[in-house]
Amino acid sequence: MPAAPFDYEAPATLADALDLLRERGEDARPLAGGQSLVPLLTLRLARPRLVVDLDRLHELRAVRRTPGALEVGALVRHRALERGEGLLALCPLLQEAAALIGNARVRALGTVGGSVAHADPAAELPAVLRALDGAVVLRSARGERVVDAGDFFVGMLTTALAPGELLTAVRLPLPSPGAGFAVEEFSRRAGDFAVVAAVAVVELDGGAVARARVALAGVGPVPARLDRLEAALRGERLESGAIRRAVAERPLEIDPEGDIHASAEYRRHLAAVLTARALERAAEAAGRAIV
Amino acid sequence: MAESPAATRERLRVVGRRLPRHDARDKVLARTLYAADWQMPGMLEGAVLRSPYPAARITRIDTSRAAACPGVAAVLTARDVPHNILWTDVPGQTSVVGPLRARVQVLADDQVRYQGEAVALVAAETREIADRALELIDVAYEAQPGVFTTEDALRPDAPRVHEEGNVLATWRVRCGDADTALARAHAVVEQTYRCGLIDHAYLEPEAGVAWIDADGVVVVRASTQVIEHFRDVADVLGLPHNKVRVIGPYVGGGFGGKEDVTVEVFLGLLAYRTGRPVRMVWSRQESLLARPKRHPFTLRYRTGAARDGTLLAHRIELTADAGAYAYLSALVLLYATVTAAGPYRVPHVAVDARAVYTNNPPTSAMRGFGAMQMVLGYESQIDQIARRLGLDPVEVRRRSALRRGDRLPVGQALDTHVAVAEAAERAWAALGPPRAPSSPRHRVGRGLACNLQPYGRLVWLRDWASAWVGLEADGSVVVRCGVPDVGGGQASSLCQIAAEALGVEPDRVTVHIADSALTPLAGTTTATRQLYMSGNAVLVAATQLHDEVRRVAARLLETPVEQVALADGAATAGPERRVLLADVVKECARLGVPRSHLGVYHAPAGDPVDLERGGGRVFPDYTFGAHAVEVEVDVDTGAASVRRHVACHDVGRAINPQSVEGQVQGGAVMGLGYGLMEEIIVDRGVNLTTSFASYLIPSALDVPDVEPIIIESGDGKGPFAARGIGEPPIGPPAAAIANAVEDAVGVRITDLPITPEKIARALGLLSGG
Amino acid sequence: MTELRIAFTLNGEPCEAQTAAHRTLLEVLRARGAVDVKEGCGEGVCGTCTVLLDGEPVSSCLVLAARAQGRDLMTVRGLGDAGAPHPLQSAFVAHGAAQCGFCTPGMLLTAYALLRDRPRASRAEIRRAIAGNLCRCTGYTKIIDAIAACAEGAARG
Repeated sequence: MPAAPFDYEAPATLADALDLLRERGEDARPLAGGQSLVPLLTLRLARPRLVVDLDRLHELRAVRRTPGALEVGALVRHRALERGEGLLALCPLLQEAAALIGNARVRALGTVGGSVAHADPAAELPAVLRALDGAVVLRSARGERVVDAGDFFVGMLTTALAPGELLTAVRLPLPSPGAGFAVEEFSRRAGDFAVVAAVAVVELDGGAVARARVALAGVGPVPARLDRLEAALRGERLESGAIRRAVAERPLEIDPEGDIHASAEYRRHLAAVLTARALERAAEAAGRAIV
Repeated sequence: MAESPAATRERLRVVGRRLPRHDARDKVLARTLYAADWQMPGMLEGAVLRSPYPAARITRIDTSRAAACPGVAAVLTARDVPHNILWTDVPGQTSVVGPLRARVQVLADDQVRYQGEAVALVAAETREIADRALELIDVAYEAQPGVFTTEDALRPDAPRVHEEGNVLATWRVRCGDADTALARAHAVVEQTYRCGLIDHAYLEPEAGVAWIDADGVVVVRASTQVIEHFRDVADVLGLPHNKVRVIGPYVGGGFGGKEDVTVEVFLGLLAYRTGRPVRMVWSRQESLLARPKRHPFTLRYRTGAARDGTLLAHRIELTADAGAYAYLSALVLLYATVTAAGPYRVPHVAVDARAVYTNNPPTSAMRGFGAMQMVLGYESQIDQIARRLGLDPVEVRRRSALRRGDRLPVGQALDTHVAVAEAAERAWAALGPPRAPSSPRHRVGRGLACNLQPYGRLVWLRDWASAWVGLEADGSVVVRCGVPDVGGGQASSLCQIAAEALGVEPDRVTVHIADSALTPLAGTTTATRQLYMSGNAVLVAATQLHDEVRRVAARLLETPVEQVALADGAATAGPERRVLLADVVKECARLGVPRSHLGVYHAPAGDPVDLERGGGRVFPDYTFGAHAVEVEVDVDTGAASVRRHVACHDVGRAINPQSVEGQVQGGAVMGLGYGLMEEIIVDRGVNLTTSFASYLIPSALDVPDVEPIIIESGDGKGPFAARGIGEPPIGPPAAAIANAVEDAVGVRITDLPITPEKIARALGLLSGG
Repeated sequence: MTELRIAFTLNGEPCEAQTAAHRTLLEVLRARGAVDVKEGCGEGVCGTCTVLLDGEPVSSCLVLAARAQGRDLMTVRGLGDAGAPHPLQSAFVAHGAAQCGFCTPGMLLTAYALLRDRPRASRAEIRRAIAGNLCRCTGYTKIIDAIAACAEGAARG
C-alpha cells in the first residue's frame, strides 16, 4: 500500500534539520536509513505530516575517536559496522553484532542512529550500547545533551528523545584491549529480529574476571543489564562450568512477556542459555587475548 | 505392457531430457508480464474494504462520502452485486454430491463471519484515491459472539456460523473391524496430533486486470490456477458464460491458494460497472489476512500392530477447522479420509472425519490437500510402533507397505506400480553414515516418513482435458492448451511431449496457454493433474497428427507407412530417404489432410462411491514416496535443524528430470516450513500474523539442500507412464522431522510446527513444563 | 504533500521522474514501466523488489523515491538482455533455478552483487547471501547451484 501523503524536507545542515524538528514538533519524523520507518509509513502504522530526511547531513556519518571511546555518527550504516570500516575496527564487537542485523539489504541502508532511536526491544545495537555502558548524543535547536543508554531506553519503541530532538551519535566506551566479547542470538528464522540475544563483554585479570557485562535483547520493553550476575562473576576464576553455575544459581533479573514468537517462560529460559553461552565465549576470547 | 520401461527410455528423444524451460528464459530476463505488471490506458485501481471483525452484523453502510471523493469511479456493496452468491464448490463438478456444494457471499450482505471478509469495493483513478475512499466508507458493525475452535463450534449451544449448523461435512470409512482388531493387537499406540493453520505464501500476491473488450466480452487477466472461473464471474454479473473470458498469465506461485476465486469477480464487477479497465493488486498483508488457508486438523489415531510390527488396525478421528466458509473443505476432508491409513496394508480401518465451521479464516485448497496433513498421524504412529517393538524404521514400513493389487480401506485396488518400500529403503540408505553432532550440546537423530498422494481428480468428477496441436507450414509446431502455468513447468512439459510425438526439437514448439476464449479448456492446475491430464491430451492430439503426417510422408517417400519415422524435423525411411516436415505439411495442405488436431483426454471415471461400504475407485491413481531426514537438536534451546534431507518419489517417468527435481526440492522445503516454523496465529478470530515479518517461511539458511531420488518405474497414468509430482513431496517432511526429533532426544512432538519452544518444553527445560 | 522532480540513472540511462515524496522507489520504478521490479511483501523481508542502489542491493519498497536523486540504479534488465544475457541469467536457466520466476529478478541482483564482491564465493557464502531473498518454489538448491556455477573456480560443464 502506498504511504499516506506527507510533506518532505531534506535539509542540508544539521541546524536546518533541528529547526524543522522544533517547528513541527510531533508532526515530524526524522528519516535515517528508513529500514524501520518506511515500512511503518507504507503499512500506515505511522502517519507523520512531515518527514525530515537526514540523508544530506554528512556530519552525522563521521566516526571519531575520543579518549577511551568511539563516537559513531547516527547515519553510519550497519554495513560499515559489519565490515569494521576505519576506526570502527577498534570495536570488533560491532562487527559481530551488525552481521546479525536483518538481511544484507537492511544492513546496506540501516543506520546506527536509526536502530537505536527506533528502540525495538529485540534489536541488537541497543543491547550492544547497553553492554558497553554507552551513551547517546541528542541535539535540538536548544543544544546538546548526552544520555546514558540505561536512561535512554524508556519503553517499547520509546526513548528519552524529546520532541524536536535528534539522536546525532552514539558513544561507545572501548573495552580494555584484552577484553573478550560475544553476541549470542536466537531467532526463529535466520536474519530475523532476535527472540532473545545476549551481548557479553568480559575483562580478565590474572585468570579471574575483572569485569563482566551482559546485556539482553528480547526479554522486556528495553534492553536489560544483568547487574547482579555481573557482580557475582567478579573475581570468579573461569574453570569449566563456573559461568554456567553462576548463571544457574540465581534467577536472571528480567521480566519478559510472551508474544507470538515465544512465551515469557521460554524467553526466560533462552536468556539464561544465551547469557551463559555469550559469557563463556567472551571469557574464552579474553583468555586467548591474554596469551 | 508391450515395451519394457528401459526400452521406452531408450526410444525417447525429448521426453526424459533435462531441458531448460522456455519460460525460465523469459523470467530471468524479466520479460514475463505477471498479473500486476499489466497496464492499460485509462486503467482504474481497485481495492477492497474488509471487515475488522470476525463475527458481526452490519447494521449500516454509507458509501456517499467515498463515492463523492474526486477520482472515485465506483463504490460497490452487496446490494450492487447482481447475483451476490459465489459458488465455491469443485470447479466442473458433474455429480451433485451434497457436501461438496458450497458458496460464499461475494460481498458481505448483513453478516460478516471472519476478519478480512470483503464488505465493499472501490475503483478509483489511483491507488491512493482508492485507499482514501475505503477510509471514507462508513460501516456500522454490531460485534457478535463467534466460535474460534472446533471444540467450541461443536458444543450444542455454540453460536451458529451458518444457519445450517457448524458441522459442514462428514465422511466415514469402515473396512474390517477396527475395534476388535485393536483389542487383539500385540501393540497399540494412541495419540492425538495437531497440525496448524498455514498460508501458501507464494511470492506473488493476488492480482489482475479486467476490461470490457471491443466485442463486449468481459476479460479478466488474473493470477489464477483456474481459468474456468470465467463462469463464476459471469454468474455473479448475470451474463452468459460465453461473455466472460479469463486469461491466465504465468503465475508467481499458486500452491492451491489461487484455486478459489481471488480478484476475478471483484474485477469483473468493477470493470462492468465503470466500463473501464481496472487493476486490483492485493498487498501481502491483505493476502495473509483474507485468503483461504490450509486446514488445521486434529488427528486422533489408535493403531494396532502384531508382534512383528505388521499393522493390523487404525481407528482414526479427524476434525478439520473449515473456517467461516466451506470453499473446498468437504473435498479436502475427503482426501484426508481416503488417505488416512497411509501407504500401508491395514486390514481393519475406521475413519470418522468432520469439517467444522468457525469464525476463523476460511480454509481450502493447499498443496497436499488434506492428504498431507494425515502423514503426521500415520507416520508418527508407525514410528512409535517400531520403537515400541524395537524394530528398524525401514523394516516396519516394508512389512506393511502397499503393493500393486492391494486395496485401500475405501476399496480402491491399486492397479499401477507401488514403490513405497523401495522409496523408504533408498531414501534411508542415502542418508549414509551418521555425522557427528556439531557441538557437545547437540544431539543427532534420523527420521523416515512415507506417503501417498492422489494425482488427478476424484473419478466421479469425470475429469477431462483438451489440447490442440498443429503444424505450421514451415514445420514448426503450435500447442494450444488452457493450462495455467503456476511455475512448475506445466507449459514447457507440453512442448516436450509434443516435440517427442512429432519428432521435432522442443524449441520448434510454441505453446499458448490459459486463455478461456482461445485455448481448449484443460481444467484446473490443481490436484497434481496437469501433466497427467493436459499431457495426455497433448499426446492424444500430437499422436493423431503424427499418424496423419506419417501417412502423407509415406506417400511422398513412396514407402510403406510402417517404415516412416518422424525425427529431427523430417520424415525418414531408412538412412537414405528423407523429406522435411515442412514439405510434408505442404503436401497435407494440398491433399486436404488436417494439419491440426484437438485431443481430449478423459480420466478414469466412475460414480460417487460410498466410502463407508468400500465402494471402489476414488482417484485415478496415487504417487508414492519417502523422505529421510537427519536432524540436529540443540539440547539447551530445543532448536531442531535439518542437516540432511533425502526425498524419493516414484514419478513413473520424468518428462523433464530437472522440473521433477524442482518440484521435489521445493515441495520438501515447503514441507520443512510446515514442520518447523510456519503458523498463522489467530486469537479469537483475529489474525496476528499478517506480515512476512511475522509469518515465517524458510530462508535459504533454514533448510539444507534436499537430495532428490527419482524412481522411474515406467508405470503411471500420465503421458509416457508419468505420475504427478506437484503435491506429493510436501507430505513427508513434518512427520520425518517429528520422528527424527524423537530419535535424537527421546521426546515425541505431536503438534505442528515443531518449534524450539515445544521441544524445550518436552525436554523439561521450562519450569512449567 | 510534497512533489519532487528526481533525476537518476536507471540501467545506465539518465532518467527523470515527477513523484510525490511519500512514494517509494518501488512504486516510482513500476509506474514508469520498470515492472521487472516485483512487489512481494512491502516490508523489506522477501527481497523480490531488490534493486542495486549505487551497486548495493536494497529493498526498493523501503527506499523513498527521493533518495534516488543523483544515484545509480540497476534492475535485472540492466544485467543482460536476450541478445547478451549475463552468465548468471544463463546459469539460472540451465540449472532450473527459476520456477514461478517471481523471486528471480531480486535473486539475480543479489547474486550479482555477491559475485562482484566475492568472485570465489563458496556454497555456504552464497546460501548466506541469498538468505534475505525468499523463494517458495525451488527449495533454494537449484538457485545455489546456478550461482555456484558462476563463481570463479567453479568446475565447468
